[in-house]
Amino acid sequence: MGKELKVGIGDMKLSRGDGTIITYALGSCIGISFYDPVIHLGALLHIMLPARFNATDPNVFKYADSGIRETLRKLSAFGMVKSRMVVKIAGGAKMFEISGNSDFGNIGQRNTESVKKVLREEGMRISGEDTGGSYARTMVLNLVTGDVVIRTFGKAEKHL
Amino acid sequence: MTIRSYDDMNLQELDVMKEIGSIGTSHAATSLSKMLQKEIRITIPQVSILGYEEAVDRIGDMEQIVAATLVKMSGDVGGLMLFLFNLDFANTVLEKMIGESYSGFETMDELANSALTEIGNIIICSYINAFSQLVNVDIELSVPSATINMLGGILTVPIAEYGYETDKLMYCNADFVMDGKNLSDWLLMLPDIRSLNEILTKLGVS
Repeated sequence: MGKELKVGIGDMKLSRGDGTIITYALGSCIGISFYDPVIHLGALLHIMLPARFNATDPNVFKYADSGIRETLRKLSAFGMVKSRMVVKIAGGAKMFEISGNSDFGNIGQRNTESVKKVLREEGMRISGEDTGGSYARTMVLNLVTGDVVIRTFGKAEKHL
Repeated sequence: MTIRSYDDMNLQELDVMKEIGSIGTSHAATSLSKMLQKEIRITIPQVSILGYEEAVDRIGDMEQIVAATLVKMSGDVGGLMLFLFNLDFANTVLEKMIGESYSGFETMDELANSALTEIGNIIICSYINAFSQLVNVDIELSVPSATINMLGGILTVPIAEYGYETDKLMYCNADFVMDGKNLSDWLLMLPDIRSLNEILTKLGVS
């Protein structure tokens, strides 16, 4: 087992070769893993909101649109080939259900829609997905194999 | 001065929020004490303005399983109230209420879960009652929603809800002391920024 990189909220890490990249307890947030199997280059992005409205906000990884584009730009610089990329997403849960107020906490769903739209615009296909529900997920990307593991409370581990 | 984010508050304004926290928490402790027929003391409340990751670190860790009750405020003050507690707190309360204790949150049955939701609801309601009398505002509360899940995921709810306004959380922590044992709980009162300004103006500090 090599090094383990941790990705915080509204953050992104990329690495090559060995080890894992992990992001903990995705609630309504979404984790997006990118992996190029030929050069073992991977990235894990943790976004919180659907879109960046304020173009001067320096925190690009907080938003689905600016986060995905910036991650792809960085990955290109490290030699990724778009057609080889394996993309998987997890998260977008609705942690609390308030009866009589169905709009509340819909942010997870809006995040999921936005992530899918941006990936489509970038010409990327999603090959694994675990979204929705009402529980948090921890997402781990293995840089050797490209395997993505999802951990949740009270359920068995899932491989995307 | 108009406050645009929680961390714009100065020391005097923070002191006011601490005082509100103190009064609210003691009312909450009184309600809990009446329900359990037990003497409950509280430790001195701390009010902190924290970023998401600091808040998680202060309470526990990302994947720690906690119980949470969430209530949405509307009316004169809009925002969220979030009450969190750990297994130790849950077991102590459940032992008094239904005479059972559990080895983990996953082993709890429906009865235990609804008892815990109710505890959270009572604590939040008495806190808000005290608060609304003190500040003289009308606050409507939604039906409580409860969950048992990873701490990290639960705390992203308020962060995402106000993500376009602020990335800070305001949290008030006063442990309940029952039978000489400290029971940790965390109450997050999260007024939206408009309401926060209104509260401070009403109390004459802003």
